[in-house]
Amino acid sequence: MNSQATAVIIPVYNEASVVGSMIRLTKKSFKNIICVNDGSTDESSAAIKNAGGVLLEHAINLGAGAATQTGIDYALLDPNNKYFITIDADGQHDIKDAVNMLDYLKKNDLDIVLGSRFLGTVENITGMKKQFLKLAALFSENTSGVKLTDPHVGLRVFNRRFAESLKLTMPGFAHASELVNRIGEGRYRYAELPVHVSYSDYSKAKGQSMLNAINITVDLFHHRISKK
Amino acid sequence: MIAIQIILVLGFLFLFWRFLSNPGSHQVHAWIKILTFLFTVLAVVAVIFPDTANRLAHAVGVKTGANLLLYVLTLAFIFVVINIYSRGKEDERRRVILVRKIALLEAQLSKKNKK
Repeated sequence: MNSQATAVIIPVYNEASVVGSMIRLTKKSFKNIICVNDGSTDESSAAIKNAGGVLLEHAINLGAGAATQTGIDYALLDPNNKYFITIDADGQHDIKDAVNMLDYLKKNDLDIVLGSRFLGTVENITGMKKQFLKLAALFSENTSGVKLTDPHVGLRVFNRRFAESLKLTMPGFAHASELVNRIGEGRYRYAELPVHVSYSDYSKAKGQSMLNAINITVDLFHHRISKK
Repeated sequence: MIAIQIILVLGFLFLFWRFLSNPGSHQVHAWIKILTFLFTVLAVVAVIFPDTANRLAHAVGVKTGANLLLYVLTLAFIFVVINIYSRGKEDERRRVILVRKIALLEAQLSKKNKK
């Protein structure tokens, strides 16, 4: 297993109670774990240090996008890192899925593999509806260039070429849309794999509210028209 | 549509586009100065000749000078809000660069010290 060449990037914000066990679990599969503590007000950084992850500290809270990008920048400093994994700190993802996604990426020579919470669950579908969904997917593919069932997933695996071009500028949660746009712009080879997500009470309590979708939309709109 | 409606709608759209699209540019700063200057001139004229506001209002199809003032102030207020929002976004962008740079430097430094 060449886990040496893979960097796992975990953005952390006030996850002191879960991030330690999350790192220990991840360590069974990957050695190089980079945690970006995004200005947490709890004991997150102590938990990360104890668990033995590389710790990067944002002096103030910036958002998941900025934390992810900081982690990627740090991982890129080491030329040995060929593969990059982003994963949420709250333990909602299964690290086995990350391992599968990495294998899939290598085998099929892809640039990025994204997890999907919704893939593979569409069963007992009528032929008519299937055709309609195919048509809808085709339409979305033609407009954005990228066909995904779950673009806001936290679990992603990508190669160095994609990591170098990523350069996320949206500090908050809108970075997920930015990442998908980047796939389209660069015509990267991508795939989606089904992943298992278990929402603990903790991650449910912290989950994004629907109102945040409005924030994300406005952020993206502002970003688009303020491009110089 | 009466004149004031056209003026206001165009004004809103212009401000929205202009200041959201390029908040920190020289053009915007120049426009702020021009608008401030015009506003000052109008204010002085309105104080010395109180009827000016009314006559101006009638010229663009508004009942009284007070109403016209309200419309213009609304426009100015929206301009200020959008400008502050844009500036906040720009500040955020710079802050992000700064904080991320510190985090990276810190991590590299502690790595070096460990070796």
